Amino acid sequence: MTESTRNIIVVGGGTGGTLAANLLAKHLGDEIRSGSIRIHLVSGARAHIFQPAYLHVAFKNQNPKDIVHDERTLLRQEVDLIENDAVKLDLTTQEVAFASGQKLGYDYLIIATGSVPNPEAIPGLKDAGLNFHTSPEESQKIWNAIEQFDGGHVVIGIAGVPHKCPPSPNEAAFLADDYFRKRGVRDKVKVSFLTPYPRPYPAEPMSKVVEPRFEKRGIEVVTFFNVESVDPAKREIYSLEGESLTYDLLIMVPPHRGADVVIKSGIGDADGWIPTDKNTMRIQGHENAYAIGDATNIPISKTGVTAHLEAIVATNNIVSSIRRRGELYKYNGRINCPFEMGSGQASFVVGSYDMPVKEIQPSRTRYAMKKAFARFYWRTLSGSWDWLLNAYFGKTHEIVKP
Amino acid sequence: MTTSEATAKPTTVVDSRGTMCPGPITDLFKAYRHANVGDVIELLATDPAAKSDTQAWAKRSGNEILAIIDEPDHVRIQVRIVKKGR
Repeated sequence: MTESTRNIIVVGGGTGGTLAANLLAKHLGDEIRSGSIRIHLVSGARAHIFQPAYLHVAFKNQNPKDIVHDERTLLRQEVDLIENDAVKLDLTTQEVAFASGQKLGYDYLIIATGSVPNPEAIPGLKDAGLNFHTSPEESQKIWNAIEQFDGGHVVIGIAGVPHKCPPSPNEAAFLADDYFRKRGVRDKVKVSFLTPYPRPYPAEPMSKVVEPRFEKRGIEVVTFFNVESVDPAKREIYSLEGESLTYDLLIMVPPHRGADVVIKSGIGDADGWIPTDKNTMRIQGHENAYAIGDATNIPISKTGVTAHLEAIVATNNIVSSIRRRGELYKYNGRINCPFEMGSGQASFVVGSYDMPVKEIQPSRTRYAMKKAFARFYWRTLSGSWDWLLNAYFGKTHEIVKP
Repeated sequence: MTTSEATAKPTTVVDSRGTMCPGPITDLFKAYRHANVGDVIELLATDPAAKSDTQAWAKRSGNEILAIIDEPDHVRIQVRIVKKGR
């Protein structure tokens, strides 16, 4: 490192952070070789988990080991992996402090610290309910539970908002129904879907796709149920609206919050989401600090695709700044969430800031696309396949030239 | 009740302008979780579904819509929390 070496620090080794570090390494090769730029990725965990597959661990008995890769193997060699937890992000002094006690100054920062499932926010939920959002091990508990479940009331749903992967609660209901049918015990199992929203899927066009399929499968939908608390002893779940339901097996998506480091650093809102410009991905009030993925307060889906597309925008804005090109990249809010609907069919939730979510019917072809994307995921993190993804996604940002 | 004049002083203002469905109703639910009985939540929204979703929720939950005001570029919905929890 030379005296004039500038540091770019990416905090968080999930989808957005890993891709961002690799894209920076790819675009800034000359600067890295000359020693003027150094790229650091901060991640206390070496395990990089493909989180969408939690669903398949829970309802299809996928081996949890198959969805985990070593973070180091996913990073370009030019990226310095700091295997330490960031404990403070100081946007004023431009420093990141680590659990080890060390600090590192930055010239540019990308915060990709994700979201944290927070079952503790709902009294009783942690003890009463299973979920497929916190870890592969927790997801596997669902498989163990449904495998031994011979009859009764299974309640699946949303325990609080926001949560990552908006289609995942509905997907869980579809896959649970598939599983109990396959085992031949569906007639002994009542499946209810709980949602705080007025319809089975929050966005109406996709709800029109989900509703008749739930009806056909005999999945009961309970709307406007904002979970207040759960009584594990009585096996009852209560809503803020004053209703209650008894269950034999409870599988709920917990509400999520921002990362501890964001909350402790005082750079997030009350729930730990970072106020971020929804187009440039800059943290509000800071020219050289960015937030991407679940960590932001942007009101769109918290998904891997969103993190991926935001990483492209944030890294291009940093490269543009370093090379004084004057271009500004602006994300258009494009979302593209795979949505599995059982029986080997899937749809996608597609929209943007200016385009409301579309009604897209499920098909076997779309299911094949979802599966192909899951296999392709690890390669997409290199940043070398964006030409292919761009061809599929179409326009995801605009470039404002000086 | 729909009015363009008399409104209550809100306890909490939730600005969901610019967010699409289900943004406004999501923001309303977040405010409801932290509200007390007697509070007035004012929801500002540009998404057309905000009106019908809020009305349907209030009817089902027993909470009270005080006013729905059509401003030039958004809607202002005031809800009094009269029922929360068991």
